Amino acid sequence: MLRTMKRTTTAIAVAAMPTLAAAQELIVLDWSGFEDPGFIGAYIKEHGGPPNYSFFGEEEEAFQKLRAGFEVDVAHPCSQSVSKWQLAGLIEPLDTSRIDRWDDVNEVKEAFVIDGDYYMLPTDWGTTSLVYRTDLVNASKMDSLQAFLDPEFAGRVSLPNNVDDVYALGLLATGVIDWSDVTQEQFEAASAWLRQAHPNVVTYWADNAELAQLMTTGEVSLAWAWNETPTTLIGEGIPVAINREAAEGSSSWFCGYVNVVDGPNSEDLMYDFLNAWMEPATTDYIVDAWGYGSGNQTQMASLGSEVLDSVGLGEVSAPVLVQGPLDNQMREQMIVEFEKIKAGF
Amino acid sequence: MIKSAQLDSDARRGLSQISLPLAFSVLLLAAPLAILLAMSFWTQDFLTLDRTFTLANFKETWTSPIYRTLMLRSLKISIIVTVLTVGLAYPAAYYMSFVAPNNRKAMLVFLITIPFWTSYLMRIFLWKVILGFNGVVNGSLIGLGFIDTPLDWISYNQFAVIITLSHAWLPFAVLPIFVVMEKVNRSYLEAAQDLGDTPFQRFRRITLPLSMPGVVAATLIVFIPTIGDYVTPKLVGGPDGLMIANMIEIQFKNANNAPLGAALALSALLLVSSVAGIFVWLNRRYLKAEGAA
Repeated sequence: MLRTMKRTTTAIAVAAMPTLAAAQELIVLDWSGFEDPGFIGAYIKEHGGPPNYSFFGEEEEAFQKLRAGFEVDVAHPCSQSVSKWQLAGLIEPLDTSRIDRWDDVNEVKEAFVIDGDYYMLPTDWGTTSLVYRTDLVNASKMDSLQAFLDPEFAGRVSLPNNVDDVYALGLLATGVIDWSDVTQEQFEAASAWLRQAHPNVVTYWADNAELAQLMTTGEVSLAWAWNETPTTLIGEGIPVAINREAAEGSSSWFCGYVNVVDGPNSEDLMYDFLNAWMEPATTDYIVDAWGYGSGNQTQMASLGSEVLDSVGLGEVSAPVLVQGPLDNQMREQMIVEFEKIKAGF
Repeated sequence: MIKSAQLDSDARRGLSQISLPLAFSVLLLAAPLAILLAMSFWTQDFLTLDRTFTLANFKETWTSPIYRTLMLRSLKISIIVTVLTVGLAYPAAYYMSFVAPNNRKAMLVFLITIPFWTSYLMRIFLWKVILGFNGVVNGSLIGLGFIDTPLDWISYNQFAVIITLSHAWLPFAVLPIFVVMEKVNRSYLEAAQDLGDTPFQRFRRITLPLSMPGVVAATLIVFIPTIGDYVTPKLVGGPDGLMIANMIEIQFKNANNAPLGAALALSALLLVSSVAGIFVWLNRRYLKAEGAA
């Protein structure tokens, strides 16, 4: 009975599917918004359509979903999650010989080597920095991250609801530029700084759309934001400016694709998908349309500094805290502490 | 076994009718609750679950100030929302039942359900627009010249959570009160009037006690879900509007501490049931005093 039912449903499903069935099979667990076909033009061309997507709003959600047994072929975490996911047995190494442009892949790939194996293909990156409304705040005060503590901006500040970006800010503001060997004292100093900034915060933004709206209305005049937000706002004619050269510096982050253990579909499809991400056309698209950087560093370099500066991805003279892999215990501590800070403790 | 063979046909039919819903609720309600209970006595260190029995999670839940604050805040918000919705729903239900002509009642019930035509998430976002910095309220007040700069105490705080929740739950409060009022025997009211009661006395001695079961139902229907609501505070609450359910979600998700999340959830459950229990008990005493129960 069950078998007949299964067979019937499969038959119906197959009949209902267009001839491009193969393209529908690969399952990608991704950030919402990353289903943009511009990122994987080569894959769509070859397979006739995009893969299946399942979305998450934050990495921890994706992590719990995978731990609970959700089956996907490939997922899109950011740098801090790779070792955690690997420890939890959720991901397996990538076969780098099957990634055609492996030599062009950004050097950051070396940060995701565990026991000699590469675990993540870095595909997209951006910066997090001080962003403000030029008509609402005095630009001369915007050369230091201490502006977030200024009582003048009480109720006008928004920080990310994202532990990595927030601690990048806290650490930078307290003088730490490299978090790979952050000490307990440095962590506590950063937490104390964030606690001090908390009363100024009207809300912790969850995504680009929310922050863009808050800054458009002027409710928020000062934010710690991804470069995507000012890039889109400037495009809409909103008077915002981005300062990646505040005295204490700014931050950068990297995300990429990982090979999920026991993916239900063929790995050939996965490598086609990964290779599509490394296409030069994808690099041009992601920089132009999203204001993000791509993991293909050869193509990024060929774009020239003028283009990169205009979207907030160029070289800066101020310090940059790279959100590389972080000790798992330290990160767990940050997560718990950030929740306390957000609740006002 | 012999006994079950002796069940009469009524009992057998009863059992067969209840067995499916019973299996359903055991599977989907009792089993998860049992897992939650077991989990609350365990501990989790990063990714590994330690199954040694401990009361540490409950100790932390009941002693640490952050959880106490969030519990009390959720209780406060929920009580305010309940008082607001039931307070507003009662006159509306009274009008529908006692004042409106009979041929209009169905129409009014229909109108009450109109808010349900829009998804709850949509309504939250609408409140964000209405209460926002350049929103409808601020825009109108500025346009009318009452204020110069937008009020910022109306969004991203507990006030916004209370407004949004009250608006969402109002229809749920009207309907049970209306249904109970419909059952109030109108001849009691006539009798009271004949015996010389003023309209207010009549209301206090007959309508109010007899409609109390509806008020109790409405109170519980609003109070119990709102105390555990998490999407509203998450979207309109800002930093000081967070409630206990947000913390429970965080423990299960971001903090990798499912046991503490389970202990928080069970403690919240205990809190809700005790407050609801006290309320039902108070109501019973009131009805006894009024001689209606």
